[in-house]
Amino acid sequence: MNVTVDVVGEGAREVTVDDGATYADLVEAVDRSPQEVSVLVDGSPVPEDQPVETDHVQVLRLIKGG
Amino acid sequence: MECDKCGEEAVMHAAYSGAHLCETHFCRSVDKRVRRRIREDALLSPDSTPEDPERWVIGLSGGKDSVVLTHILDETFGHDPRVDMMALTIHEGIEGYRDESVDACVELADDLDMRHELVSYAEEFGVRMDDVVEDDPENMAACAYCGVFRRDLLEGYAEEFGADKLLTGHNLDDEAQTALMNVLEGDVTQIAKHFDASLGSFEDRNEGEEFVPRAKPLRDVPEKEVALYAHIKDLPAHITECPHSSEAYRGEIQELLWDLEENHPGTRHSIMSGYEELAELTAERYRSDEGADLNECEQCGSKTGSRVCRKCRLIESINAV
Repeated sequence: MNVTVDVVGEGAREVTVDDGATYADLVEAVDRSPQEVSVLVDGSPVPEDQPVETDHVQVLRLIKGG
Repeated sequence: MECDKCGEEAVMHAAYSGAHLCETHFCRSVDKRVRRRIREDALLSPDSTPEDPERWVIGLSGGKDSVVLTHILDETFGHDPRVDMMALTIHEGIEGYRDESVDACVELADDLDMRHELVSYAEEFGVRMDDVVEDDPENMAACAYCGVFRRDLLEGYAEEFGADKLLTGHNLDDEAQTALMNVLEGDVTQIAKHFDASLGSFEDRNEGEEFVPRAKPLRDVPEKEVALYAHIKDLPAHITECPHSSEAYRGEIQELLWDLEENHPGTRHSIMSGYEELAELTAERYRSDEGADLNECEQCGSKTGSRVCRKCRLIESINAV
């Protein structure tokens, strides 16, 4: 299935993942570690181990330090 | 996916514990871990009373970590007459970046009605990080200069404000990175110092008289969860990366830890649990070897092992350009 992954501050990418793929798989598809991002669906965070049930997600990167 | 504790929709999964939690139970779990750490560290001295409260100075940068720390401390101790809290922000002279995060600090301190003090490299040392990076007389990473200056001001002002404790927003990822770096560098003396400087419980530490004791109440919470907490609570955290950020080795360790955590959830926690035990043992072994030979810097009067402190030497070198 095709999902638009919008990495906030970096732009959106279209990625193709297998049916049953998780949100963590989407994060890996845009070369990020699930440890350094949160995935938002319609503005709400989702657990990354869950199967993707949408065609558009936002990925929020962690910002180091202060 | 439902929350493990209620029927609400889960917003996060912690692979290291297997938990799925909704917004409410996730935030509660963060609060709980921070409060447990505060108790285990014996952060609040049993001697503090409403008549003679402890003063805690919080290093507030405006980034997510220190903003979350300040928020939780205020919720926990804001009405406790045994604690008197204030926030200290340092402006490094990084245009745009720090101006915005100072605004976040002012907004938070206003919201919480907390005393807030702002000091700057420009006023204190006559230098701005934007210029230091440009000149770079010592051929070092920006963070190497900045860390020395920041520590000097945090310590100096914590003392000036009469702080009993200096609290910073270091999270689990920060601490696991530092632990791993110390191990990989083979720096056992540094591991020993780490215990007395901030890791150990106040009951077990050998506190020198020289410095205001430090503590890191967020150090059990993974960085990602600190960020999620700030997002869910809609805290006024500043979310831009420092334009001079350049800690190459730490970045490498960070990525290594992310990969380890993906493949072996709980790695950061186990690193810290073993490292803390090790740090206590090395602290007991190395303590007697040092500490006695600190004297005052000839130029600024701060404590140093040499004639002139590192900060004064850096400033000299910057001014010589």
